[in-house]
Amino acid sequence: MSFIIRQLTKRADGGDIIRTRTLVQAEISIGRGTDCDVQLPDLAVMLRHARLVRIAATRVSIETTGGVPVEVAGKFVTRADLDVADAPAVDIGPFRLSLSAGEDGAVAITAERVIPPIDTADATQEVSIFSLAGAMPTRRRLAWAGALVVLIGLLLLPLAHFIGEGRAALPQSMVAEAARPTTPGQAFGDGRLGVPAARPAVAGGFAPDEVWSSGPLSNAHASLSNNCGACHTQAFVSVTDSACQACHTKSALPDHAAPARLASGRQPETGVMAAAHGAFNLPQGRCTSCHKEHEGEATVMTVAQQFCTDCHAGLKGRLPDTAVADVPGWARHPDFRATLVATPSLTRPVLARTALAGARERSGLIYPHDIHQSATNAVANMARKQGMTLASDGSLPCAACHVPDADQQRFKPIDMEANCGDCHDLAFAREAGPGGGTLRTLPHGKPAQVAGIIRDFYLSQALAPRAGVQRIAFDRRPPGRLAEVEAQQLRLASIGDAQGRARAAVAGIFTGRGLCTDCHVVTDTGSADITRRFAIAPVSLNDHYLPQGRFPHGKHKSHDGKTGDAACLACHTGITRSKAATDVNIPGVANCRQCHGAPAKALLARTAKAGDSCDTCHGYHDGVAPAGAVPAGHGGGQRTAARLAAAPARPRSAGFGS
Amino acid sequence: MASTAPTRKAMTGKAVTRAPRDTAHEGFLGHRRGRWAKVAGTISIVALLAYLLTDATPRPNGGTWLGYTLGSIGAGMIVWLSLLGVRKRVIGSKPFSLKGWTSAHVYLGLSLIVIGTLHTGFQLGWNVHTLAWALMMIVILSGLWGISLYATLPEKLSANRGEVTQQQMLEAVRTLDRQLDLAAQPLGADDAALVRMSLEECRIAGSLGQRLSGNYHRDGNARALAAIGDKVMAAMRSGRADERLQQIQFLLERKEAALAQARRHIAMKARLELWLYVHVPVTIALLAALFAHVLSVFLYW
Repeated sequence: MSFIIRQLTKRADGGDIIRTRTLVQAEISIGRGTDCDVQLPDLAVMLRHARLVRIAATRVSIETTGGVPVEVAGKFVTRADLDVADAPAVDIGPFRLSLSAGEDGAVAITAERVIPPIDTADATQEVSIFSLAGAMPTRRRLAWAGALVVLIGLLLLPLAHFIGEGRAALPQSMVAEAARPTTPGQAFGDGRLGVPAARPAVAGGFAPDEVWSSGPLSNAHASLSNNCGACHTQAFVSVTDSACQACHTKSALPDHAAPARLASGRQPETGVMAAAHGAFNLPQGRCTSCHKEHEGEATVMTVAQQFCTDCHAGLKGRLPDTAVADVPGWARHPDFRATLVATPSLTRPVLARTALAGARERSGLIYPHDIHQSATNAVANMARKQGMTLASDGSLPCAACHVPDADQQRFKPIDMEANCGDCHDLAFAREAGPGGGTLRTLPHGKPAQVAGIIRDFYLSQALAPRAGVQRIAFDRRPPGRLAEVEAQQLRLASIGDAQGRARAAVAGIFTGRGLCTDCHVVTDTGSADITRRFAIAPVSLNDHYLPQGRFPHGKHKSHDGKTGDAACLACHTGITRSKAATDVNIPGVANCRQCHGAPAKALLARTAKAGDSCDTCHGYHDGVAPAGAVPAGHGGGQRTAARLAAAPARPRSAGFGS
Repeated sequence: MASTAPTRKAMTGKAVTRAPRDTAHEGFLGHRRGRWAKVAGTISIVALLAYLLTDATPRPNGGTWLGYTLGSIGAGMIVWLSLLGVRKRVIGSKPFSLKGWTSAHVYLGLSLIVIGTLHTGFQLGWNVHTLAWALMMIVILSGLWGISLYATLPEKLSANRGEVTQQQMLEAVRTLDRQLDLAAQPLGADDAALVRMSLEECRIAGSLGQRLSGNYHRDGNARALAAIGDKVMAAMRSGRADERLQQIQFLLERKEAALAQARRHIAMKARLELWLYVHVPVTIALLAALFAHVLSVFLYW
């Protein structure tokens, strides 16, 4: 009935110190207390942790006494019977008790610390405690992680998308919209070409190469934001014109001039810029030379004035035969050269660009603006009697004749019946009848018919006079009072007399004061045929004095606080004193500069009162000036030509006379 | 400067000459009277003037001629600045001293704020380009943070440390641990568990947050001290003062003081090191982002 207790202690040099005792007793105590038979000096062990009782020759029982279990064969137990022959082990705290059969039937217990005490620190601990290496991954690992995230997420994934995508499909709705020609004037400062609402990106969601975008696309192209390949078709090749023209066809956006002339008119690049553009394969004159994308919602249309003046500042030096004046910038924009009617014609009027100073226009019409603008004369009185809408001062308003066109750019062509007919009425006879009778009116613009109608009227009235017919005289008279000729005065004795009176009546209409000659130059050809005797000089009314630019009248309805006619007169200043239709009342460029480019009146404001960029008035994609259709120097461009062609009923010369 | 001092003395006849270099420490910030500060300042001003005087179309950004110029300069500088890590491992290479190199690193790095930001033209977005800029700014600002720490912390570190080495700080804690272990041997299980809490659940340094905040009140020693303190007070109130527990309390308090000193040291060292944990890995990420930025620009040209 004895126990052999061997206690192993590690020496500092790694060797073992073994203390062996033999206790002859049936039960031994195990614990931290100094009075225990097996003392285990660790705070994890109870003062009296367990007792070991020999219950048979080779069997012992271990039983905890302090309530803290012991570990036997991997299980925590409070009591266990052990067969010494099995060489069982009991773990108590950091110690292990290994039981085995000893000499003379004794039970040998080897107590050994198997978990080292906590204070066995070494130099490596110093590093982990005093440097961040103990609290963080190494810098190298962090660097690898960060670099890999960046390279995979922002380089390899987008690259794989670009390579895998091939040629991107273009959204059909955008292609169709881009191919539709824009209407004239749309591209100008009339506010109609506003920034379109941003369209959402097309289906397909986020594309990995979006992370390469240098900035948001313009609203017009916003739906391509996940479709980089739509424009960036080739790696390391800057966006080509063909990529733009896949949607923006040449018919929708014609060339500014013939490509060869554009190339020779351009200021050649020199020095570093030329070298850089050459080295990086960025030839001049591409769409993207002017139109910069990825600059925000409106910017693809924001083209620097510099792009215009780069060529136009010294164009004559490079293109000596050009009809276009050099324009170094808005401040030095040459004065306007109005396109005026030089020779009126019913079919092919000749127009000529003329400097504004001292310019005269030969429209063929007689029209004094001054008497039509008076508030006190017979014209004003007549207009009032006719119940026309008058200006606040009682004069005829400008809009009585100059009616804005649909897009408020310019004005509907002057139409004699509509604009003049209220006062310059062509009714020549009234025949009594129900409902006020029938008014007979001469057709405007058809002198042969007029002569014929008058002649026939006189002849028929002489042969078969009708009662209640009144001839209305055209002679100058007090407005509103028709001088009427009684029917019986028309009744004549003989046919020969009737013919003479008819001829006299026709001559009176064409040459007398009050009808044709008020506005037209009439020539007496002396022809025996009364319908051919009087020729009316052709009239061509100008409908666009400055066709190279766009002036949206609608946006200038109020000017410097003035509205109505006062706003018109603010620019067309001489109109109230103009006595002849040959006067040209087109304001010069200095007039525009009062607002455009002039500093705003606000304190410290840096913005101009109104825009002064070239595209405020001019378009680039108007196409090449047509040759022949209009005289040389009057390059209205393809769009102007198209507009003229689209309105054959209203050629540039509005039809007065026939 | 030092080598010219004798001749200058002879020429000016001044009685007192500037101290030779090896007796007066000249930090990298004042290297050669701030030569690199002047260089960097000049670069920044030139870049700023060029930016202000250039009418970029339609707006300034990396795609204008100035943008490409600034971008090329900036990319070159980033690569060169990141080479400090290589240079400092090459001991004693000529002709540029490591100090001069570091001085240039700091000042040119600061001028990169101007160059890099003007390169962007303030056109920022959620893309690889702005990522490169943001990483660059993080690197520069962390460097600035590091310099400010280097200017202030070593003095405090030295004052806190006294004449004690780090090893001695650890040894002090370990000695107290051994004393606690011994003193706790006669204690009952509950009290022994509290001492074990101090011995086994006490981490001198702890997590990054603990190191930086200095908040260790949940640490084993602090909890053990609080619990033992309560027990000692309870025993004293009941008139049965427990000397063994008082001894334990005394040892725990001494350990707390030793820990506090070590932890102040650790907190300052953590801050001295932490900026580099930002500066260096973000630099590598920046180089990756810079590569992706440049490649993507030319790929989608």
